[in-house]
Parts: sequence; structure tokens; C-alpha cells
Amino acid sequence: MKKTILTGIATAALAFSASAEVKVGNPMAVTGPIPDLVAPMVLAVDLAAQHVNEQGGLFSDGQKYTIVRADSGCDPTAAVDAVTKLVNVEQVSAIIGPVCSGATIAQAQSVTIPAGVVTLSVSASSPAISSLESGTDLVFRTAASDAFQGKALAELAIANGITDLAISYANDDYNAAIAAVFAANYEMLGGTITANEAHEPDKSSYRSEVATLGSGTNNLALFAYYGSSGITILRNSLETGAFDLFFGADGMAAQEVIDQIGAENLGNAFFTTSTSDQTTNAFGAWKAAAEAGNVPAADPFVPNSYDAAFMMALAIEKLGSGDRSGIASALRAIANGPGEVILPGEFAKAKSILAAGGSIHYVGASGPQDFFNNGDVAGFFSKNTVVDGAWSAEIIK
Amino acid sequence: MDALIGYFLYFLSLLSVGGIYALLALGLNVNWGFAGLFNAGIAGFAAVGAYTFSLLTTAESTFHYGGLGLPVVIGEIAAFLIAGIIAAVIGIICIRLRADYLAIATIGIAEIIKLIFKNEAELTNGPRGISKIPRTWEHFSEARYFSSQPLSWFGDSQSWQAFFDSLVNWWWQPLFAMTILFFVFVVYIMLEKARLSPWGRMMTAIRENEVAARAAGKNVTKRRVEAFIIGTMIMGLAGALLAQHLRFIEPTHTFDPSKMTFLVWVMLIAGGSGNNRGAIFGAFLIWFVWSASELFLNGFIDIIGNIFNGMDISMLKNRSGYLRMLLIGLVLQFVLQKYPKGILPERRPAASGE
Repeated sequence: MKKTILTGIATAALAFSASAEVKVGNPMAVTGPIPDLVAPMVLAVDLAAQHVNEQGGLFSDGQKYTIVRADSGCDPTAAVDAVTKLVNVEQVSAIIGPVCSGATIAQAQSVTIPAGVVTLSVSASSPAISSLESGTDLVFRTAASDAFQGKALAELAIANGITDLAISYANDDYNAAIAAVFAANYEMLGGTITANEAHEPDKSSYRSEVATLGSGTNNLALFAYYGSSGITILRNSLETGAFDLFFGADGMAAQEVIDQIGAENLGNAFFTTSTSDQTTNAFGAWKAAAEAGNVPAADPFVPNSYDAAFMMALAIEKLGSGDRSGIASALRAIANGPGEVILPGEFAKAKSILAAGGSIHYVGASGPQDFFNNGDVAGFFSKNTVVDGAWSAEIIK
Repeated sequence: MDALIGYFLYFLSLLSVGGIYALLALGLNVNWGFAGLFNAGIAGFAAVGAYTFSLLTTAESTFHYGGLGLPVVIGEIAAFLIAGIIAAVIGIICIRLRADYLAIATIGIAEIIKLIFKNEAELTNGPRGISKIPRTWEHFSEARYFSSQPLSWFGDSQSWQAFFDSLVNWWWQPLFAMTILFFVFVVYIMLEKARLSPWGRMMTAIRENEVAARAAGKNVTKRRVEAFIIGTMIMGLAGALLAQHLRFIEPTHTFDPSKMTFLVWVMLIAGGSGNNRGAIFGAFLIWFVWSASELFLNGFIDIIGNIFNGMDISMLKNRSGYLRMLLIGLVLQFVLQKYPKGILPERRPAASGE
């Protein structure tokens, strides 16, 4: 009985608030295997919405840019259910998210592509997404595909004089994919891989894996999330002396790794992340805004999340309405340009240019964010090393 | 109008996924409700069905083996049969285990099955999963189906393409939901027949008093294996339908025991174990609560935000995923306290002569 009354009020509340706003769905893996990675990404999305609403809102009547959050849990079933609700019940104009590649692929194939709704993923990096669509143009992402990062990391390893190494990757979709690309490219460039093994995440000790891998070499290529296995593997390797040089990709470049392992042990470690050139104006603008909003500016995929939410607002502003069918082309127009350069946080400037009939070209905090034909973006990768107890990034050209 | 269609489509998706869970619960009912077998490996058997279906019906691909592009019906039948074969192998080995030990064994087996799918990357693309799984009814609108038999008998590619483009973009959803409900209905009818038959009475006897049943000359082991196989075959079929609904499966998160095994057990116990209608009812009820709780909570948090104007509700909103799990747990507690035998308890057929 109570539930019925609550539903009634809830639906009434939903209906009421539907009047002067444009809603965008945001399924994120709030619960699930990576909540600590996702929490700052959520803050970044909200910060983008806050900037838009503070700087005059959408369209000439200042409509509210509302982010409707849902929980995709990094799980295809939950993601499909969450996005079904967002698309059908909340009637959102577009989807920003999800976080995990598996969830993104499932919800795109199951819900958004059939329904004609744009999906702009904040961090899905599986190479499979590049070839997801045929005939439609609805899936975009602000994070570069693993296919690029694996190659860049392999080149970096060879350039650093690493001639032999062992690979350990967490057996999930992201890390397995990037490890495979890395291994293929590294061998093509002439390196020797002495061992290439998956490990199951969330184990309390990886001594046996480390012992098996460590027999042939001192160099470890580690593809894992820091919270679920990365830190433990580093610790076990240092304790048993199996490896002394570590490198790898996104997922390990977090402050917690330095805090737990110690900067002195990570002297020659480096991890690539798909963040941007931090010397650009765009990143500078983002960093200032992030610090003002208490959002960690350089954590994995946080700038990409801001970019996605901000670009969606710019696309809706350009389109002039929340109509689902026009969003894809509007998104390409504001992202690829040509037009006046817009940096993160400059919504008011963009709005006045668009109102006067001009064009804009958004340059994002995590990279130029110009979409290819299949909705991918180019990768700028930075090499992160430990300097003075914190990660310091150096762009790889 | 769009909003109404939206609510209708959401309702169809609730029916589809509820129907898939209803099939899982019916399968579990055969194992637990009929034969008293504590099968805690639902996720594993559903994964077997899902992967069999996917490998047989997807188009050819460099990422994974199979991709034979067979018709969906053959994929479903194969999922049904292969789950049964695997269950037969496991059943013959494990069936003599008592309740708790069977639970432990089946949990382990489910994890083994998932790890096999995860690590045999040449076969199944490992953790990166299999995508572009065809979905019944929607698959007709894919080029590779209407350009080959039997649809090519009725028109050429151009006319089919034009036909599908002319339909509203959700045309296949009611058909897909009805297909799932049709499967649920057929399985329900067959299980009801089984329950009321001499076989069903014998299963009840074995479940209630195994020694007496053995003394009466019944081959208890064989019956148990039968019940195990039938139940898991139904779970395999449900797995195939789940693969169609998601159009993408992967071994890590899709077949998570907490969402699949545990939730289906909750559905069966809350709905009424031993009662086929209870299994179906429990499945739809718990799934409706699970899915709609996100909407309830968001609306509720919005109302709280409106009532207490100064309060910053973003803290609540960010935690709503966890609040939802708390809510599900509370609902479960409530249902189990009030209906210890399930909402629709088991009805024994009246003994003849009464």
C-alpha cells in the first residue's frame, strides 16, 4: 500500500520535473568491481553539468541540463536494465557512459542502437567497440581504444631498452585486451616475452604467479587494476625479489599505489595512461576547474568523463533541442569543428557563439576529442613516473 | 505519447527478463522443489546454455570459435541439450552427495565452468566476450538473415531492407517478450503434467523419505539424476534466452553468482518452492522489485530533496546503488518472515481415494 502511494508520488515528481530541462542518462558502475575508480568520474560528470547550468543553462530560456544517474554495475544485465529504464521511462536524449566495455557493448547492442539513442562512453576501451556498428552512427567514446595504447606502450618499452619481459594481466575484458595488443606489438618490434599469464583479480596473494613469471626476467609488464590485484602483485614481487622494473597501463596510475608501495620502490616504474597532454591550455583550464570543484584532475578517465558530459551539453545546445535523432551529427560538429576553440568550462562563450550562428570546436581535457568515422578518438598517452611522491606525466609523442 | 510507449517498452523488458528468471526458477524448482537437490550452480549451467547458443548462432568471427550462423531455434535446442549432457556427467558423479555437500560441489562446478569459458580464449574470446548475438525476431532485420533462405524466398534484399526500415524501431520487442513467455508457458505446462504424474509423486516420495522410497523398490539415484538433468536443461535454455536479450555475454560479470544463483534461489524460496506457479510468481515479483527499485529510490530521493530544500541530496544519489541492495535485502527479509513457506506454498495433489 505504502509502495503504491510512494510510486504515485514518485511518478508525479518525475512528471513535474520533466518540464523545463533536457535529460541525459548516465549509467556508471557505481556498485560493482571498480567503485573507487568510478567515484571521481561521477564527480567530474556532475561538475560538467554544474558548469553548464551555472553559465546560463541550455537554449535561450535557460533550461536545466539534468544528468540522470543509473547503476550499470560493470555488468551487462544490470547495464541493459538501467539503460532500458533511462531510455524508455526517463526518456533521456542521450546516454553518457557506461564505464566498462562489456556493459557498453551489451547496452548498445541491446537497447540504444535499436532505439536510435546516442551512447557516448566515458572509458570503454575495448577494440571491439570500433567495429560495433554497421550502418548506424550512434556509439562514440571519449577514451582511446586499447589498440592504440598497447602499441604505444610496446614502443615505449623498446625505446627504454627493455629487451625481455614477463606479462601478467588481470583476467577481465580491459586488461586482457590491452595485454594482447601489447604482446603482439612488442614481439613485432623484436622484444622477447618470457612468460604471458593471466591472473584472477581479488586474490590475497600472488606469490605463486610471481614466482612462475619471475624466473626468466627482471622486468614485469603489469596490466591490472590497482585495487583488485595490482598493488598486491607489486608487493609480492618486491618481497620475493622477483622483479625490479614495473610498467603497464591505466588502472595502476593512482596515488594509492605510491602510498602503499612506497615511492622509493617505484623509482624506475612507469605506467601509461590515456590522459592528455597536461601542458595544453585545455588541461590547464580543466585542472583549475577540477581543483575548484574538489575533483581529482588526473585520475584515470576523470577528464574523459568531464569531456563527455560537457560535449553532450554543447551538442544539445547546437542542436537546439533534446531530439534524439539529431544528436549524433551535432556531436560530430562540435567535437571535430572547424570553429572557434572552446576549452573545458567555457560554456557561456560557446553558447553565445552558437546563438550568433557560428561554429565551435571543443578541445577536451583528456585530448582533442575529434571523432573518427566509427566514433573512436585518437589516443594521447602519457608516461607516468613517480616524482616526489606523486605521479608525474610526460606526454609520449 | 512517447512517454506511454516508453512505459510500455519498459514493461516489456520487465516481462522479458522476468520470464528468463522464471525459466531459471522453474529449472531450480525441478531440482529443489521436486527432488530436494541443492543446486547452487545455476550461473554455470546458464553460462553453458548461453555460450552454446552464442557460438552456434553468431556470424563467423576471428575472435572466437564457432560462429556457425545457424538458425536461432537450433541454437536454443542445442543449448538445452548440451546443458543436459554436462549435467548428466556432473550428476552421475555428484548425485550421491547430501544436500550441503551438493551445494558446495555445484558452486565449485559453476566456477569451474566459468573459468573454462574465461580462459579458453581461442574458443570463446575469453573475458572480452561474444557480441552481436542474434535476438529472436530482431534477427530477421539483419542483412545476413534476410539475404539467405528462407526469407529470401519471399523477396529480395532491397524489399526486405525497405520493409524493416518502415517498421517502428521497437517492432520486435513485443514479439520477443511473447516468445519468452511462450517458453515459460510451455515449460510450466510440461512441469505441471510431470508433477501430477506418477513420476512426480515418486519424486515427492524420494524427497520426503528416501529410505522408504528405496524400500519400495524405487531407483532413487536414477531418479535424482533425471531430476538434476531436467532442471539444468531448463536453466540452459534460459541461458540461451539471456544471451539473446543482452546480445553480448562474457564470463566475468554476466554470470555473477550473486545476481544469478543467489537471486534465483531467493525467487524460488520467496515464491514458494515445490510450486511451479510459485517459482514463476517469485521470479517476476523479485525482478520487478529489483528493477523498479531504482526508479522508486530516485523518485523518493527527489521528493526528499524537494521537502528539505536545503539538504544536499547528491550524497544520497551517489549511494543509491547501495541503498537499492539494502532495499532488496529488506524486502527479502519481510517476505521470508511473513511467508516462510513462500508466497504460494506447495500444494500436494490429493491422494486418490480421499
